[in-house]
Amino acid sequence: MIGFLIDMLLRANDLALLAVGLSLVYSLVSFPNVAHVQYAASGAFAAWAIADRGVPLWLAIVLSMALTSIAAVVLHRAIFDRLIRSGPPVAMIGSLAVAMIAVSGFLAIFGSRPRRLPLAMEAPTMVAGAPVTPLALWTLSGTALLLAGLTMLLYFTPFGRALRALAANRTLTAACGIDPKRLADAVCALSGAFAALGGIIIAASKQTYVLLGSDLLLPVFAAAIVGGLRNPLGAFGGALIIAFGETLMTNLDVGAALGRQSWFLPLGYLPAASFSLIAIILLWRPEGLFTRKTRSV
Amino acid sequence: MFEFAIHVVIVALIYGLSAISLNLQAGVAGLLNFGQVAFFGMGAYALAIAAKAGLPWPVGILAGMAVASLAGAGIGLLGRNLAAEYWAISTLALAEIVRLIALNEDWLSGGPQGLGGFPIPFDGVEGVRRGLAILGLCLFVLIASLGLAIYLTRSQFGRVLRLVRDQPALARSLGHDLMSLKLRMLMISAPIAAISGSLYAGYIGYIGPDQLLPFETFLVWTMIVIGGSGNHLGAVLGAVIVEFLYAGSPLIKEYVDISYDLAASLRILLVGAGLLAFLMLRTQGLIPERPARLDARG
Repeated sequence: MIGFLIDMLLRANDLALLAVGLSLVYSLVSFPNVAHVQYAASGAFAAWAIADRGVPLWLAIVLSMALTSIAAVVLHRAIFDRLIRSGPPVAMIGSLAVAMIAVSGFLAIFGSRPRRLPLAMEAPTMVAGAPVTPLALWTLSGTALLLAGLTMLLYFTPFGRALRALAANRTLTAACGIDPKRLADAVCALSGAFAALGGIIIAASKQTYVLLGSDLLLPVFAAAIVGGLRNPLGAFGGALIIAFGETLMTNLDVGAALGRQSWFLPLGYLPAASFSLIAIILLWRPEGLFTRKTRSV
Repeated sequence: MFEFAIHVVIVALIYGLSAISLNLQAGVAGLLNFGQVAFFGMGAYALAIAAKAGLPWPVGILAGMAVASLAGAGIGLLGRNLAAEYWAISTLALAEIVRLIALNEDWLSGGPQGLGGFPIPFDGVEGVRRGLAILGLCLFVLIASLGLAIYLTRSQFGRVLRLVRDQPALARSLGHDLMSLKLRMLMISAPIAAISGSLYAGYIGYIGPDQLLPFETFLVWTMIVIGGSGNHLGAVLGAVIVEFLYAGSPLIKEYVDISYDLAASLRILLVGAGLLAFLMLRTQGLIPERPARLDARG
């Protein structure tokens, strides 16, 4: 049981930072940015490349987050902000093009060989009877801290209030003297840094490879959609739900539950868990789970 | 070289069919289908499975069309109360489920190895003449589908769908059933993509899960954006241009010594950069949709 919880938390940890960032950007610019997951790959590759030149890992991670933030802001200003004027579908297809260009860039620069971050393997410690690596504890607490910080930022600062106001009513907020462009820059930078760290977390426990971002596309979108796509904290809930679904699928003994011989769902269908959850939840609640019809700020 | 040229033309015509199908959905009806490759896969696997079972190939083609049409109705119903972008992501997810089924159900689809070695159309014909026979068949199907698509788009049905795309609230206020219109468009256009899949499997003699990757859908999107979203002739032109670039870019390796990874990366870059350039600089594509007078009654 504890083992199940830990597996689930670790998977949620892989998705949460990305889903929260995606949701945050969507609440401001109102198109699903397919290229968002590529920031995870670029963050992981940048951290690897910088650390590979002998820079200490913590510094490489900070630099990679900063670089990815800058890339996110530049891409938003140069491309997405222009495309959105032709409507959300055009912007969405444009983000798809950016994602393809990013993948081709990773392939050209880093090649198809997977890379590992320079981390020493450490023996797992026992937490309530289940083995957990120190690395997992580090990344879990890091994510928890960041999400707590984001919550404070969103709900207890003037910046957060402006952001939520802008998401709720753009025209009115602009009329109150809040500059949407500067806020959009800030949000893109923030979500880029979050995504880079999310990618680094995955690269730290597994490895980084060309399709790291593309493979995250559907689980991350599933988490954000389940959470309601405009609600960053809902996206965190969505990440927990998707992680629960996937972990359940790998651990649930369907045969035993039906009182028959032990039988597990075929592992080949694991990626389908998140896709099916999108379909089921959207049929039941088309706007996602954690949304309210009226929002007050 | 001549055989290679025939090959590229055949594949371009096959993609052209898929592009017409997506253009009917996205260009005319405004449906953001990111799972187009699923229809292609249904046609391809239907032909392969039917041929393995010893059935004549038209049976496989018809079965694929029927399955794709039903699947089109299914994903359309899923979009009953979804916003366009949510539906787009759902279609991407459903196409991935189709690919996972192809990957995992060995008894049906041959699993990761795919299906090959089945009797193919014009099997007895040798070399270039088989290529020309297939080319003729593809050209015939393409012209027929193009005619159907242009007819549909100019008909009252197409006119109303363009209104649904541009002014959904107005269309609804005029008493149109948006859901039924979109469903009908999906059920008509999905079989066209299924035929393209059947022709592909029949021509190559092989189909596997790797041909159902989401990238294939993105490739077809690039074709219709470059050609001109909403214009079917443009969609075919886009398919020809993109396929020539895509098939031609590895030829660079003949002249410049670059690694396999770099050549693969160059291909993806060409597609992505072409798509982005047209979206930013010429959103209407090479052959823009002709604005037609709207008669929204009936």
